[in-house]
Amino acid sequence: MENELSRLVDALPGLVWTARLDGKIDFLNQRWREYTGLSVEEILGADEEYGRGWQAAIHPEDLPGLLERWRSILASREPGEMEARLRRFDGEYRWFLFRACPLADPSALVVKWCGISTDIEDRRRAEEPLHAPWWLRSSERERHFRSIGDSIPALGALMTPAGEIELVNRQVVEYLGATLEELKGQAIGESFHPDDRPDVIARWREAVEAGQPYDFESRLRRADGVYRWFHTRGFPLRDTEGRIVLWYLLHADIDDQKRAEALLAGEKRLLEMVAGGHSMSGILEALCHFVESTASGCYCSVVLVDPSGTHLEHGAAPSLPASFITSIIGRPVNVDSGPCAMASYLNEQVIAADLTSETRWAEYAWCPMALAHGLQACWSTPISSTAGKVLGAFALYYDEPRTPTSLEQSLIEQFTHIASIAVERAQSDASLKRSEAFLAEAQHLSSIGSYLWRAATDEITWSEETYRIFELDQTAPVTWERISTRVHPEDLPAFKKQVERCRRDGGNVEFEFRLQMPNRSVKYVRLVSHSSRDESGQLEYTGTIQDMTERRLSEEALGKVRSELAHMARVTSLGALTASIAHEVSQPLSGIITNASTCLRMLAADPPNVDGARETARRTIRDGNRASDVITRLRALFSRKNATTESVDLNEATREVITLLLRELQRSRAILRAELADDLPPVTGDRVQLQQVILNLLLNASDAMSGVDDRPRELVIRTEIDESDRVRLTVQDAGVGFEPQSADKLFEPFYTTKGGGMGIGLSVSRSIIESHHGRLWAAPNDGPGATFSFSIPRRPENIKRARSLGATWTPAVMDAQHVMRNP
Amino acid sequence: MVIRSLVSVVDDDESVRESLPDLLRELGFAAQAFSSAEEFLASDCLCQTRCLILDIAMPGMSGPDLQRELTLRRKAIPIVFITAHRDETVRPRLLEQGAVECLFKPFSDTALREALDAAFRPS
Repeated sequence: MENELSRLVDALPGLVWTARLDGKIDFLNQRWREYTGLSVEEILGADEEYGRGWQAAIHPEDLPGLLERWRSILASREPGEMEARLRRFDGEYRWFLFRACPLADPSALVVKWCGISTDIEDRRRAEEPLHAPWWLRSSERERHFRSIGDSIPALGALMTPAGEIELVNRQVVEYLGATLEELKGQAIGESFHPDDRPDVIARWREAVEAGQPYDFESRLRRADGVYRWFHTRGFPLRDTEGRIVLWYLLHADIDDQKRAEALLAGEKRLLEMVAGGHSMSGILEALCHFVESTASGCYCSVVLVDPSGTHLEHGAAPSLPASFITSIIGRPVNVDSGPCAMASYLNEQVIAADLTSETRWAEYAWCPMALAHGLQACWSTPISSTAGKVLGAFALYYDEPRTPTSLEQSLIEQFTHIASIAVERAQSDASLKRSEAFLAEAQHLSSIGSYLWRAATDEITWSEETYRIFELDQTAPVTWERISTRVHPEDLPAFKKQVERCRRDGGNVEFEFRLQMPNRSVKYVRLVSHSSRDESGQLEYTGTIQDMTERRLSEEALGKVRSELAHMARVTSLGALTASIAHEVSQPLSGIITNASTCLRMLAADPPNVDGARETARRTIRDGNRASDVITRLRALFSRKNATTESVDLNEATREVITLLLRELQRSRAILRAELADDLPPVTGDRVQLQQVILNLLLNASDAMSGVDDRPRELVIRTEIDESDRVRLTVQDAGVGFEPQSADKLFEPFYTTKGGGMGIGLSVSRSIIESHHGRLWAAPNDGPGATFSFSIPRRPENIKRARSLGATWTPAVMDAQHVMRNP
Repeated sequence: MVIRSLVSVVDDDESVRESLPDLLRELGFAAQAFSSAEEFLASDCLCQTRCLILDIAMPGMSGPDLQRELTLRRKAIPIVFITAHRDETVRPRLLEQGAVECLFKPFSDTALREALDAAFRPS
């Protein structure tokens, strides 16, 4: 029976089994064994594993669920069903329905379980809902994956959440050069670049943990050992309950893109170095390193043409032996001394693809030298400036014969261009630095600082020396507030007025003021400024600030001596005048006195010689008149002296006088402002005489302010064209002024309002101006002080040369007489 | 009739030529005026002149020129120079060269008188 039953059971068209009450399998029929390809021993398991060996044939994913279900059936002691994939002898899993029934003894006590397993693969496949994703349709998963995966231009893989490879497409197998089985046997991340591996794994774990798509760039090793950059994206694939069952990974080859990006980044970095003012050698070295890392296997060098254009200079060659470079440096720029010299000389690329067979540069034995350093190929490309001047050569060396590919040619072109920018920039920087240093040195030596002021924005730029003069910190921007803290409080109102005037009117200015430092020390500075308009029409001032302190201090130390000297100079010039006046006047005076003496003696005689006395008295009167005539004659003589006619630029003449007078004005603390009209036409006349007038007016103005202490001693000299098209010069002071009724008296000879004055200046000045067909007059100011002006006709367009001295100057003498006689 | 000593005046300035002879006559001398050195040298008075009042700066021959000329001609006439140029350095030089006096114009009658006294004082 036992055997018959066994045969019967084995023959049943199903997989039949029995189990003990505790669930352990104690029998499996022959079909079961045949189907799974397992032996009885394997199925039942040995010793403590007894009854569990069959589990090896169950799909691992399905086993936990199956066992759980089995336990609940056991507990229920009721018939039950379970589903799981069972592995066929050939490794293929197919779905089976496991049905179990309790076997009871006559007392209805369960003593055993028996079960039958039926292949339901076909049914299940039919049952799988069509809308279910392909990855859940296990039967179709691989077919589906391959139909998509093999046709996409990327490496594709399916991975379990545990990181095990389940499926890969054809491209993976081809790229990595390993079969799916080999890949499955590899450690996780093994195909990645060692440098990328830790990140790859960490990112993968993060993604799995968070269930978020994975997105990462990394290098994958190709079958030939070359690493290429890939952009990997991983998408989680979920079951109907939302659990992640698989990850679909796509690796897109981005190596070319990456390379281009790296090139661009390198280029950008190098250009940033250029812009950032790095040293040229630093930039060129970085460039060489970058080229070497981009085009692997090459050695890179840059040589420069020296300023004379005749020899090669060192640029950069970080990876070439020093002995090689030193033997190149200093070679003449010609076609014979080597490829770089030749490229520089011809301004053409020189390719030496194989130095072993190269015949050029033999004269200088260049090839043997290069070969001795292990170099077998050299490609040298000239570096040219934007203006086309050859600056040097950029060379790539290889230790094997080699011809540049088009890709390499474009790289060379790119880097030669960057090198030219770097070299050109460095050279212009160097010359700029030289001239800056020169300027700074010059500014420091002369104590002259410069500045730029944009009136609209109040943006002020100072030179180093200007900061030094103001003793202000260079790191903070210059503002009017900061400047005001340095301007001497007494000069501040005038300074502010001046700044406002500049802001409003533009024009050129020149004035002096004092600075007061925090330690109360005082500096004297002189400001000269020129206004212009920038591209957008905004007012701009450029100018200089000169520290006059040292000069001023030594001047003040000499102040007394100088004022005495100035006085003596005046006395000397007046002395010359009085000597000649004295001589001419002494003659008639002598007659007067002699006649008067004779007259007295004749009257004292006994009897008195009245007729003789009358005659001598008459002669006395006549001699008196003669003395007066002599003075008139003198004046005429004075006017005629040095009389020349020429075209005179009154502005220039004025500037010369100002130059002569500056120290005198400084000494008397007068603040001179010159407002000279830009387009002043020339006048005809005697330059020196006109300058005497200007000098006289300025000295008078300065003297008139010598006692002024309650206001700035402002002195303005102005030139302009007046309403009747004559050239007018005005000198305005803030001095003691004069009474309006005495305006005409001012010009009388010997009339003076000054304690130490001779009173002859203004009358002489007026006669000079009148001899120029002009007019000199004075007017009291609205405020304190007086204004003296003269105006003379502008030079006629076509002055006749024939109109010589005599004709021109006769009226001058007449005018002078008029002045003298008619005070 | 007292024979008055002749004093000649040489000066280019007319007022001197007009006024000085009158004063000299009042002082008791005979007087003649000449407008230049050349005129004086050409005149008959050269030999009778006992004293010469001579301007320094004149057009043509100057005072000192005339003095040298007279020395050359061995005419020892005492000379009183007069000048409108008040140059103190001139006077000692002229005195050194034999002038009796040098008067700066304008000069007083007293100063003239003293100079003439000196000129006529027997040496």
